[in-house]
This record gives sequence, C-alpha cells and structure tokens, in this order.
Amino acid sequence: MTSVPMMNRRQLGQGAAALAVLLGLPRGSLAADAKPVVIASEEDVSTLDPHLIRNNHPIGSVIWSVFDSLVRRNADGSHEPRLALSWEQAEPTRWRFKLRPNVKFHNGEAFDAEAVVFNFNRMNVSPYNAESQLWPGTNLSKVVAVDPMTVDLVTSEPTINMLYWLEEAFVGAPKYLKDTAPDVVSANPVGSGPYKFVSWRQGDRVVLSANPTYWNGAPPIKGVVFRDIPELSSRINELKAGSVDIAVGLTPDTAGGAKSGNSRVVAVNGLRKMHMGISFTGIAPLKDKRIRQALNHAVDVQTMIDTLQGGMTKPLASIVNPPNNDPSLKPFAYNADKAKALLKEAGHEGFELQVAYGRYPGAKEVSEAVASYLEAIGLKPKLEAYETGRFEEMLKQKAFKGIYYYGWASLINPSVELVILTSDAVDNSNGYNNPDYDKMVKTASVTLDETKRKVLLKQAEDFIWDECTWVYLWYLPEIYGLGSRLNYPPRPDDYIEIYRATLTG
Amino acid sequence: MSFATFMVAQTTGDPITLLVPANATEAARAALRTHLGLDRPVPVQYALFVLHAVQGDLGSSFVYKQHVLDLVVNRLGATFELALVAFAIALVLGVGLGVLAALNRNGMVDLAVTGFTMIGLAIPPFWLGLILIIVFAVRLQILPVSGSDTAVSVILPAVTLSLQSTARLARLLRSSMIEVLEADYIRTARAKGLWRCRVLWVHAFRNALIPLVTMAGLELGDLISSAVVIEAIFAWPGIGRLAITAVEQRDFPLLQGAVLVAAICFVVINLVVDWLYTRIDPRVVLR
Amino acid sequence: MKGFPWFGAVGALLIAAAIATAVLAPQIAPARPTQLDLRARLAPPVWVEGGKPNHILGTDNVGRDVLSRVIWGSRISLSVGAAAAILGMVLGSTLGLLAGYFGRWVDAVISWLINVQLAFPFTLLAIFLLGTVGGGFGAVVVVLALATWVNYARIVRGQVLAIRSRDYVLAARSIGVPTGRTLWRYILPNTAAPIVVVASFSTAQAILTQAALSFLGVGIDPSVPSWGAMLNEGRDYLQSAWWIAVFPGLAIALTVLGANLLGDWLRDWLDPRSVA
Repeated sequence: MTSVPMMNRRQLGQGAAALAVLLGLPRGSLAADAKPVVIASEEDVSTLDPHLIRNNHPIGSVIWSVFDSLVRRNADGSHEPRLALSWEQAEPTRWRFKLRPNVKFHNGEAFDAEAVVFNFNRMNVSPYNAESQLWPGTNLSKVVAVDPMTVDLVTSEPTINMLYWLEEAFVGAPKYLKDTAPDVVSANPVGSGPYKFVSWRQGDRVVLSANPTYWNGAPPIKGVVFRDIPELSSRINELKAGSVDIAVGLTPDTAGGAKSGNSRVVAVNGLRKMHMGISFTGIAPLKDKRIRQALNHAVDVQTMIDTLQGGMTKPLASIVNPPNNDPSLKPFAYNADKAKALLKEAGHEGFELQVAYGRYPGAKEVSEAVASYLEAIGLKPKLEAYETGRFEEMLKQKAFKGIYYYGWASLINPSVELVILTSDAVDNSNGYNNPDYDKMVKTASVTLDETKRKVLLKQAEDFIWDECTWVYLWYLPEIYGLGSRLNYPPRPDDYIEIYRATLTG
Repeated sequence: MSFATFMVAQTTGDPITLLVPANATEAARAALRTHLGLDRPVPVQYALFVLHAVQGDLGSSFVYKQHVLDLVVNRLGATFELALVAFAIALVLGVGLGVLAALNRNGMVDLAVTGFTMIGLAIPPFWLGLILIIVFAVRLQILPVSGSDTAVSVILPAVTLSLQSTARLARLLRSSMIEVLEADYIRTARAKGLWRCRVLWVHAFRNALIPLVTMAGLELGDLISSAVVIEAIFAWPGIGRLAITAVEQRDFPLLQGAVLVAAICFVVINLVVDWLYTRIDPRVVLR
Repeated sequence: MKGFPWFGAVGALLIAAAIATAVLAPQIAPARPTQLDLRARLAPPVWVEGGKPNHILGTDNVGRDVLSRVIWGSRISLSVGAAAAILGMVLGSTLGLLAGYFGRWVDAVISWLINVQLAFPFTLLAIFLLGTVGGGFGAVVVVLALATWVNYARIVRGQVLAIRSRDYVLAARSIGVPTGRTLWRYILPNTAAPIVVVASFSTAQAILTQAALSFLGVGIDPSVPSWGAMLNEGRDYLQSAWWIAVFPGLAIALTVLGANLLGDWLRDWLDPRSVA
C-alpha cells in the first residue's frame, strides 16, 4: 500500500492545502515539546525533485532530510555510509557498492540495486542531466545491478571523485518516480530519508515530519518547517520572538542584535572563498602578473575583516579549502607603497578599473571598500551594480572587463576546487587560460596513487596562488541564529542537517 | 499584450545559462533546450504559447517544474487577500476621513485629517513596514513579525500597504466633496430647503463618488503592484515574489503566465469601474 | 482657499530648502559623500553617546558621513522626481485630452494603450525593465514616467468626457470654434486643476517609487549616493544603527510632504471657482 495515493494534480493540491490548514490552525493546542522546529531562509524552495537540486540551502537541506544517498559527506569532508554499507574500487574503472538491506521508501517501496540503477539512469537524461553532475563528474558509463544488494558503477576513465559526486546523488522511490507526472514529483518528494514530506506552500513553507521507521532510528526532532523569509530583519525578529529556531544567513553586523533570551548566534568558518575575480578577457593591464600582485597588496584585507566582517573570518591563504591546503602559503601583506611600485614597474598607472558586484549580501560594502583602496594607489575604480540574473550571465559569458566580487565553492575536494581555473572549465568566469596549469590539474585528476596525487595537487595549488587570478579576500563566515531550545552544530557548507539536531531539556 | 511580454522576455537573455549549474556539459544544455522547446524558432514558440494559452495551458515553469497556471493561481490568492484587506481598510478609512474633513472644513478635524493624509503620503511604505514590525512585533509582541499562518498575520502588511491609498482616497474625497458642496445645484437644493442629510447623501455624496470610483479602480491595481515590495518585507507568499524570481531566473513561461493572469484581473477591474461610472453619473454613456 | 493657507507656505519652504540643498551640495556638505573610513563605521549621531563631532548625523556601514550623503542624495531624488513627473504629465495629459475629446477610434486606441499599461503590474514592469536594461538615470526617469502618465490620462479623459457635453462646449463647437482652440480655451482650463493635483502626487510618488526601486535593488546605480540607496543600505541596521536609514527616510518624507502641500496650494490657487 502506498502512502501517497495516485491522485490527479488538482486533488493533490487540495489535499496539501487541507493539511496546511490542519497544521496551521491548532498551533496553540499542540504541546510545547511537539512544536516543530522552524528554519528560516532568505531563498525560496523552487523544486523538490531529488535530481534537480539548485542550491545547498534551502533546497539541498530539504532534499537531504527526505532522501538518502549511497554515501554522505560529513562536515569535515570525510564520507559516511548511508544507503551503501561498504564500497571498494574493484578495478580502476569499476566501483562496487554493497547496499543496506531492509530499507523502505516512505511509500512502502523497497530499496534495492534496481532502485539505484533507475535513479542514476534518470540523472543522465534531460532535464535532470543539466542539474545533476554525477555522470560527467565521474565519467560514469554504466550502472549495473549485480545482485539485489550490490551495485557496480563503471566509469570510462579512472576517477578519484566517485564518492564526492555520490554524496549528492539521491535515491527516490523508483516506481513512484516512474509512474508520476514530473510536476507532481517535484512538489511531492518520496524518499527514504529521516523525514517524510508533509506539505509545501510555495513561497512560504515546506513541512516535514519524522520518519518513525528510518533505518538509523527516528530523528529526535519530530516536526520541521522550512520557511522562506527574505527580509533579514524579519528573520532575526522571528528568531527573537521564538517563532523561528534557525535563522540562516545573518551578517556580522546583525549578529549582535540577534542574541536574546530566546536565541544565540553561532558562526562557523565557511568554505566559500570570497574574492574579487580578475578578468583576463578585459583590459590589458590585468594580464600583467605584477598588476595583479599590486591589487592584492593594495587591499587591506585584515582591516576589512576586522570591520566589515566583525573579525568573524580569516583571510584566504589558498584557493584550496582546508584541511587540504598547503599551509606554507600566506596571504598577501597590505602594502600600498609596494603596490604603487609594482604598478610603476609594470608601466600601468592610474588606469580606470571596473569594480562589479551583484546583489549578494555584503557585496556592495566590500566592493566599495576595495574601490577606495584602489583609489588610494592612484587607480580610477568605477563601481557597477548588476541585477542577479544579469550578473550570472556576465560571469558565464566571461564578460566582465575589470574585477568583480564573487565567491567560489563551499566544498572540500582539491581537484574539484582547482579545476575551475582550467581553460575549458565552463565556470571559469575570469577567462584564465594557461596550458601548463591545465596539464597539472588534469594529470592530478587521473592519478590514482594518493601520495603522488597530493604532490601534483600541491604543485598546481602553489602555482595558481602565485598567479593572482583573484584579489584574495576571505572565507565567507556562515552565521546562524539558533533558538535556545535547539542543539545544533552548523556545517561550513550551507547544508542544514536537521536530523542531527536535538532539543534541550 | 502577451506578445509584448513575450518579445521583451526573449530579448533579455538565454534562460539556459541561468537554469543549469555552471559546470553542466554542453550536451546537457542542448538537451535541456530541446526539452523546454527553446530550440524552435521564436515565432513558432509564440504561436505554440498562444495556442496552449487559449486552451488554459500556460505551460510549465522552467524553475519550479510545475504548471504555470497552478503556481500563479496559488500565489495570486495570497496577493489578492492582502490587497483586498488593504483596499477595504483604505476605502473605509479614506472615505470616512474624507467626508468628515469636508463637513468640518477648516476645523480641527479637517486639520487633523489633512495632517494625517499628508504624513501618510510622505512616508515610504516599505520603511513604515520595517518600523511597524519593530514596534508591534518585536517591542510590543502583539502581532506576528511575518508569514501568513494566522488570521492576524495580515494586519501589519495590510495596514502598511493601505496607508498610501487611505491617504489618497481621503484627500480625493475631501476635495471632491468640498467641490460638490459648493456647486450650484447643491446650493439650489439647500436654498429649496431640502433636508441637509438628503442633500448630502443623494446629491453631494453621489457626485463626489465619481472621481472616487476612477481612483478606487486604480488604487486596487496599485495595491496589487505595491504588494510586491510589502510581500518581501513580511514574507507574504504572493505573486510579487514569484514574479521577481521569474525575472531573475529568466523563467519565461512563469513570467508570461504571471503577467497574463495579472492583466486579465486588471481588465476585469477596469470593466467594473466603467460600469460603476454609468451607474453613478448618468451623463456618462458607455459606447 | 480650500485648504489651510499656511500649508502652502510650509510646502514652498520645504521644497525651497530641498532645492537649495541640492544646488549647494558641494558648498554645504562637510565631506565627500563617497569618502569612506572603515575604522569609523557605524558612528552614531553627535548627540548620541559615542557620537563624533565631525559626523553630525553619524556614519554608515562603511564609515561615510551620513549628513554629506543625505545632502548629495537630494540631487538624485529631486531631479529624478521632477523629470519623471514632467515627462509623465506631458505624455499623459495630451493623450487623455485627445481620447476624451475625439472619442471614437482615437479614444479606442488610447484607452487600449492605457489598459495595456495598466494591465502590466507596474512594479514588475520596473523590475523587469531596470533589471535587464540597467538602472541609469534616464532609464529610471522613463520607467517612472511610464508609471504616472496613465494617472494623468485617465483623470483628464474622465474630466473631458464629463464636460465635453456641457452647454458651453457644445455652444463653442456649434458656432464653429476650431478644434484646437476649443481644446485650448474651453477644455484644457477645466482639466488644469486635476492635472496639477495629479502632478503634485506624481512628483511625490516618483520620489517614493524611486526609493522603493532602490530598496528592491533595481533603481539608480546604488554606487551613486541617493536617498533610496541609503534606505536600502540601512534596512538591515534599523535596530542597531537606526541613523543610516532614518535620516534619508526623513529627507524623503519632508520632500514629499513639501511637494504635496505645494501641489494642494497650487490647485486651490488655479481653480477658477475658488478664485471667483
């Protein structure tokens, strides 16, 4: 018996609405300990299809709660078995996974190797292959069910990143996915994760309830609500009023004001590397390494961190995230005189420089501060604001002519982090093109010997740091407001794993 | 109208670049283009859009992967709820204050009402919204900060949204009422000794309503449009935020659907206004 | 007079002060509006504990002088408001006049235009256009004028519809007064009052809408100091550093108040019946 009966779209909508009313009305009558945990985010949940995850949070956080993947990434970058019990790289191009027995999807379907085959194959067809990176990321060529509890992943080339990409390859109830219209699937997810989907009111909230028969035991928090509250001050006010338990996306300046009798603030060193990208397709001076070094010496990153970032983060010291970075690399020291000397040496002084920013939180202040430092070494910075969609287009077309405020990748995987500056990476937004660097990264990514690979990666890491393709800034601090009844250690990569949270007392 | 939106949408960029992660492969991009029907020539796309639209099918949203009509209708309800509550507040308060001021012309009540409308018109509504949240939801804690889960949730956003309309309607009614009260036929009626209340209601109020009806129709439209800003502050799940997302993500079907549905609503409002015109002022004949 | 006579004087005073501020900005502003000092950020106004005498109204989130920014910001707000109101007035009144007077297909075409315009929810249109075209001064003025011309057109059209069948207009037409002269001499004066009223609203509305667009992040380039941009910068600081958003908000409110009061006074002054 399936728990989600096959209804047509309209009936389903009514069912969800009726449920929302039921959940909304008896607020006061629920016992205090049953009050759901509310997570408030700036962004809207747009789709809940497990193979169309557009952002780590909030969509990713909901998907992580409702679905399971074969392995899961821990906060420190290590891998934890989930739907897979164990794995081995049987041959360089064949990975074998033993699956967890007796797992059921929320609608009663059983989890087995065929479910994995169906889901992974779905990720390889349009429109899912545009969002899901499993196949291109791992050079996957075939998914084989060896027996009901064993699955083989065959790749066309040896890969070192199989587990990394499997972390976000979620497995949904196969029969449901097969027999249901795509728009119903994207609004009514059925997985095997720690939470079951209850209802979704678009632009407002997604409601989940604990899965009592989860293979790892029912999660301690019974009800979870993901709310969409775009206004930062409203998120903070709700937090202080006790109607929100996790307020996502606080800024260093608002962190102090978010503390109250009902709430506290937790900051984690984020993994998103904030920088001013330097365009290699724009004005000529930027193609000179000395100019790029001058820009890095001109900007007083530590003062910006102490003031704008409230001292809540550290300067970037590599484009590879810890713990895999080379500790011998050090941030560029602030030295305006040296910057001026470098400009003079390169023969480009007082040129006009576009400083572009999008509508990301804090982008304007940072860009204005950077511009004022560049003005101080005699350049003529020209601030330009872009609407979000337009900014993304400019990035993808490598169309910026000067420098632009951007953040890259909250992930922990050196080869994936380094690949963006290779010439054929589609997300290489500053148009850096160096065959030597391309070769270093490529060689590392097919080197299966871990010790050798580490040496190659370090070589590439040191090389690109010295190239100054960015004006290096800092790791974006992730600041969360937490209600005092909640125990939850936030992760550095935006995801909220609410099944790891507990209530106090 | 739909054509204009369609063309403007087409010129603003390729939705594919925004729909897929930066590291999606070229083959996947091409497949998605085909999947969404964006590989067809633009005139064919438009013809298909119209053909489906007249059958009540506005297509599927690129981002939400759901039927546009469902998405829009879902959200439109919330926006209408907010706009109608604000409209009711504006109508009752605006007309009441306006008449009161006109009848007590140049008195203390008039001064108070005029002062209120002047200040009301001068305050940026989104700014007022933020202040109201701090006062009523954070300091006094008598109303919810945001959201739409309880019946009282609508109070703060609706009051914020209605302030400008209230002030405009009050001003309008005050001045048109004064104008009518001074008109010859009212003076005549008074001279003939007609009972004051009867003059007021049958002649004066009815005539003073003519500009109000024009304005009220516009106000309702304006409220729906202004709700976009207010929805963001109060996390109200209306169509405004849906449309902002659609613009930012270049979600053409959603944008077209939202504009089309909103347009139909406006046209209906305008028809009602025109009809009311003929009911109130017999001199106007609809052709 | 219909309103309170001294209201007009207050309005004139406010507007005169705003214009003087805009014109004399380089002379009266104590600092450069873009001069930032990260170490001196979020300083409160001078009368609040911790305030500094060189920043009378405090500093913003990157340490710029709030007073100087409010003074310089008046330039953008006033010029955008006035330009948009005038453009909308010329466009809207002309079309409204033509539609109301000629009726038939002229009315049909213009009414269709009005309906097309009205059918676009304005804020969405503005976000859409400014988001894709970019928020230059000209673009914002045109978009704001697009928002206001309909108000003029509808009011004027309605007014003309109501008066064109009145005896004196019919009489003028029957004795062969040329169309242009009829419009100019008999119709236009009767629409002047509502036009002025709408204009007073529209200037004020344009200033407010411009602020709202900046608040949504699609207005005038936010790197130029404007009141709307300052409100946007201060929105997250209302509870911790209220002065960033409160002073530009106050500046907007006072200017809009002035425009409305002045418009009221003008209306009373222009209305032939109240002069009589």
